[in-house]
Amino acid sequence: MAISVKVMHRPEPETTSYLRAALSGMALTFKHMVNPTKVTQQYPEEMTHLSPRWRGTHVMEQHADGRPKCVACGLCPTVCPANCIRLVGGEDDQGNRYPIVYEIDEFRCIFCGMCQEVCPVEAIHVGRHFENAEYTRERFVYDLDRLMEQDHPSTLLWDPSDPSSE
Amino acid sequence: MPEMVTLTIDGHEVSVPKGTTILEAAKSIGTEVPHYCYHPGMSSPAMCRLCLVEVEGAPKPMPGCVTTVMDGQVVHTQSEQALKNRRGVLEFYLVNHPLDCPICDMSGECNLQDYVHAEGREHGRGREPKRIFGRDDFGGDVLFYGDRCVMCTRCVRFMSEVEQDHRLTVVERGNRSVIDTFYEEGLDGTYWHGNIVDICPVGALVSKEFLHKARAWDLTHTPSVCTGCAQGCNIDLHTRDNLVQRVKPRENLDVNAWWICDYGRHGYEWMNRGDRLEAPVMRSAGASQAMAWGDALRALLAKADGAGPVKAIASAKSSNEDLGALKRLVDALGGGDIVYRSARADDEVPLKGFPTLARRTDLTPNATGADLVGASRVGDDDATGGLDAVSGHDGIVIVLNDDLSDQGEDFGANASLFVYMGTHASAGATHADFVLPISTHAEGEGSFTNLERRVQRFAKAMDAPGMARPAWLVLGALAAETGGGDAPRSAADAFAALGRSVSAFAGITWEDVGTRGALLNESVSVTGD
Repeated sequence: MAISVKVMHRPEPETTSYLRAALSGMALTFKHMVNPTKVTQQYPEEMTHLSPRWRGTHVMEQHADGRPKCVACGLCPTVCPANCIRLVGGEDDQGNRYPIVYEIDEFRCIFCGMCQEVCPVEAIHVGRHFENAEYTRERFVYDLDRLMEQDHPSTLLWDPSDPSSE
Repeated sequence: MPEMVTLTIDGHEVSVPKGTTILEAAKSIGTEVPHYCYHPGMSSPAMCRLCLVEVEGAPKPMPGCVTTVMDGQVVHTQSEQALKNRRGVLEFYLVNHPLDCPICDMSGECNLQDYVHAEGREHGRGREPKRIFGRDDFGGDVLFYGDRCVMCTRCVRFMSEVEQDHRLTVVERGNRSVIDTFYEEGLDGTYWHGNIVDICPVGALVSKEFLHKARAWDLTHTPSVCTGCAQGCNIDLHTRDNLVQRVKPRENLDVNAWWICDYGRHGYEWMNRGDRLEAPVMRSAGASQAMAWGDALRALLAKADGAGPVKAIASAKSSNEDLGALKRLVDALGGGDIVYRSARADDEVPLKGFPTLARRTDLTPNATGADLVGASRVGDDDATGGLDAVSGHDGIVIVLNDDLSDQGEDFGANASLFVYMGTHASAGATHADFVLPISTHAEGEGSFTNLERRVQRFAKAMDAPGMARPAWLVLGALAAETGGGDAPRSAADAFAALGRSVSAFAGITWEDVGTRGALLNESVSVTGD
């Protein structure tokens, strides 16, 4: 392709009137004054919109009888790049493998969502939630009970109608 | 020299002794033919059908574990036909397998998982419901998950051929066949049954003690030597979070082959014990003061000058290096007696199928080493008593790695210098002028001498707490300061120093010992009864 030089002809200030441009600008300003568009969010009275794939603090799913769905397979602490999950497995009185200790340090967590992706039983999820405030740092280490109490919706890393991605 | 046979495996020409199986020949050139039922320590029933390989000229695939090699044979283990065979066999294995890898303790070291991942089908085609057995308690330390079993019968053959105590069998036939015990007898009362958990290629037999404790991929494996008895079985310590999680045998055909006894397998909790001594402490005028190692050792040497004859208590649980350094220190301080105490059992517990292996009567790992450096055994068979001569001694008393559990607070009250080197505090050390923290066998390097006089090295599996140091480092520095020479900086240095001062250890180097051990010049042969 041949190379060419495009010469831009700019208006000369001495011979140009800016009146028309100023008027069209002001017209837009007055239009918004008469018919305003809302941009300020009235948080917290009005909740902001979160993407369905927003990744926030975790939720542990549970069975109907209140047991955690987690089977303590150890994949989430293995895959976790921030090393924020502590898991000690054990056996409950019905012979099921379950987590005796399951702790997530939400301060160390980088919210990558890999724990949710790797979980073979769809137990741990990252949540659509961002309001985390506590009085102490320790409260940000969520234990199993705390994770099961979380009632915010989980992130849609997958299609709910096809949970195993088949 | 055995007659050699030359054959071709996957295009590589290989010469092996006549009578070798194809599977072993393939292993010698680094090709692993997948297998379940074959184990080098037992007979091969060729029933898992996984090691089927293509042999040119043979009408059908041949099982590699029982087919012996022939001159000029051409074997394909990775050909299209061989891979197709294995893919088909693996699909059958998964017909009734529950695929419960997330809750299976074998996950991560499971041969079914590995083989299916490497060569199996991506998706199962089975539509029928799976057969369900559930879980069975086999007694002892063993749980049986029937659904995961691949019916290789290694466990049945171990109990009948190696332990020679027929406790397991296959009941039912075909699809319903399952491993079971005889009525309610179980495995209780057998002393080697932990090995069936090791040789189970899948998660069908799992250890109750290790159940759900750690994942296989989290464990660090460190070669070590069992401290349970004078046999000196080669083991791997599996650690996580600076704790020993389990003990597995390490193959060494000269000592324990693939097996260890259940005493050794479960006798590791002492390595995880807390409440350790963590800093050198000097006691003077009734006050105790923790101090840095350098200060403590300088104060100790100042006090040892002219303090009189030495009486030392060593331990048969200490390494050769520790004992050699103690011997050098005692000699440098003017010489004296070294005694040790060790527990003894009434009977040996032999493994019938491997006659040179037994849980020995001597329940310490290094009594031979202690004898060789000139220590003499005192006390009873439960490692108590025998210390009357030391208890009231008015010279220097050195206690190494003996917790003095049976001694009162007046032990060593008359000593001009009482040095207690141990891992835990003890009432017997009340009058100790110096309490020096030392590391355990799992926390440092060293070697033991077993009863056939084989020196075997162990490696460091855990970090020692606080300022605890290996005893050879502390004693070696003290001996060098009083008697001259260089202080050892590594276990290899300490072993070399041992070779210079104790003639029995002369002539072998740290490298000679390696991972397989080395026999001392005057070895004793060990046979079963």
